[in-house]
Amino acid sequence: MQSENVAPVSGSDSMPAMAPQADEVRTRSRIIRLFAFLPNLTMLAIVILAWQFASSIWLPSIDPHMAVLMPAPSTIAVTAAGMIASGELLFHLLASLKREASAFLIAATAIPLGIAMGWWRLVYNQVNPIMEILRPIPPLAWIPLSILWFGIGDEQNEFIIFLGMFFPILVNTIVGVKNIDPNLVRAARSLGAPEHKVLARIVLKGALPQIITGVRIGLGVGWMALVAAELVGANSGLGFLINDARSMLRTDTITVGMLAIGVVGFLIDSAIRALGRQLLPWSLALSK
Amino acid sequence: MGQLVVKNLSKVYGDAGSPGSVAALRDVTFEVPNNHFCAILGHSGCGKTTLLNIAAGFEPPTAGSVAVDNVPIRAPGWQNTMIFQDYALFPWMTASQNIAFGLEMKRLPSHKRMDITRHYIELVGLDGFEDKFPHQLSGGMRQRVAIARALAVQPHLLLMDEPFAALDAQNRSFMQDELVRIWQREPKTVVLVTHSIDEAIKLSDCIAVMTRRPGRVKEFINVGLPRPRDEDDNSYLRLKRRLRDLIHDEVG
Repeated sequence: MQSENVAPVSGSDSMPAMAPQADEVRTRSRIIRLFAFLPNLTMLAIVILAWQFASSIWLPSIDPHMAVLMPAPSTIAVTAAGMIASGELLFHLLASLKREASAFLIAATAIPLGIAMGWWRLVYNQVNPIMEILRPIPPLAWIPLSILWFGIGDEQNEFIIFLGMFFPILVNTIVGVKNIDPNLVRAARSLGAPEHKVLARIVLKGALPQIITGVRIGLGVGWMALVAAELVGANSGLGFLINDARSMLRTDTITVGMLAIGVVGFLIDSAIRALGRQLLPWSLALSK
Repeated sequence: MGQLVVKNLSKVYGDAGSPGSVAALRDVTFEVPNNHFCAILGHSGCGKTTLLNIAAGFEPPTAGSVAVDNVPIRAPGWQNTMIFQDYALFPWMTASQNIAFGLEMKRLPSHKRMDITRHYIELVGLDGFEDKFPHQLSGGMRQRVAIARALAVQPHLLLMDEPFAALDAQNRSFMQDELVRIWQREPKTVVLVTHSIDEAIKLSDCIAVMTRRPGRVKEFINVGLPRPRDEDDNSYLRLKRRLRDLIHDEVG
């Protein structure tokens, strides 16, 4: 059945419509792949159905108050639709994304620092002890001090996110530089490359797949730190949204916020991966 | 352009005389005339790669010197370029970008780079593969890219470190013939390191047989056989036997 659908439609209208037909085939095979993926969601569907049953029939039969603590998927869907329509969800989402983005711009300084540390022994020996002490401190442990430094607001939030992002990017950049095949560096020198060209054309390029991995991890850790920072010190953002809803016992709003955090985190990760594959088609590590 | 003179070359790793030090080369002296193909033949660990690394400018000698046209080699550069056993192609560059890299480093204008790259793609037989990345090419094809990349910068001295060791027997023999063909079209002073007697005879004008560590030149042999070399020819077999005896002494 499926293979029949993949084959281009043969018949009377073949020759002039070659290009659109190829497009059509591609779209069709994409749809087929989507359908082939659907059976993987069986488990998820069962969980959602069980949840729906538990929240709307089973829990209310034991104690009506318990149903409030665990909103049904149908309730969550309605709430989500309402929050999307009113723009509330988008408002908080954009606030969070803005903080993530500004923090990333600062955390990207880990890339040049990591290259310097990976390439020059002296820089590594001097800077590494500082980093080794700072790195194990969880970003959340910085919250009290950062509130005193920056007060409550964007800067404090961004500082916490920055801390979450910085070290994964730094560590991966250093590893990326150190793992470059030394023969590539020799080959470049042997072809007449001066030191700055070796750095720009070989070291940076060679470390790029690992740097992108670091950025992926960093954005993920930053996203987690972001929500925690917003729980404490913000009046907008997804973290604020779910904490604010708690005080009003709006478990449905909390759940929508949590799902939004999960979905957007996943989308950010997928986007970086797709970008890596697009930019570095030669990298076998990223093509997996 | 490209007379190689190796004079009283010694290399010791670690402090000379201290217990941990290793003497890799001792008093190596030989000459390779311009545009001659010379093989360094020896067992692994005889210091032949060390010799190559010094000639490429990757390592300083402990004593003595390596000079091309009376200019001592002190640093790596296009004048004394190297071809590696593992090809060392830049994975993020296509075949033609790899070949053009050295030309770019020489700051040639882009139309010249393109012309030269084109020429070497044709010379080494890479037509149709110029836009492939290294991971899309077979071992033999990768070595062609590496050869083209090294020849493109017009080195005075071309160094090769067991360039065909990673290939299967059939491909190796084919690539050896290809190398001779390319070298005859564009003669260069070549120093090739190998542990294969056949490879040394098939390719070279002269062969420096190395002793065990610390490596010295045990014998310097001018091959003097007509090309293409015939493996069944009597003088080929005689030379092969002689080299085998020389090498064999070094095992026991």
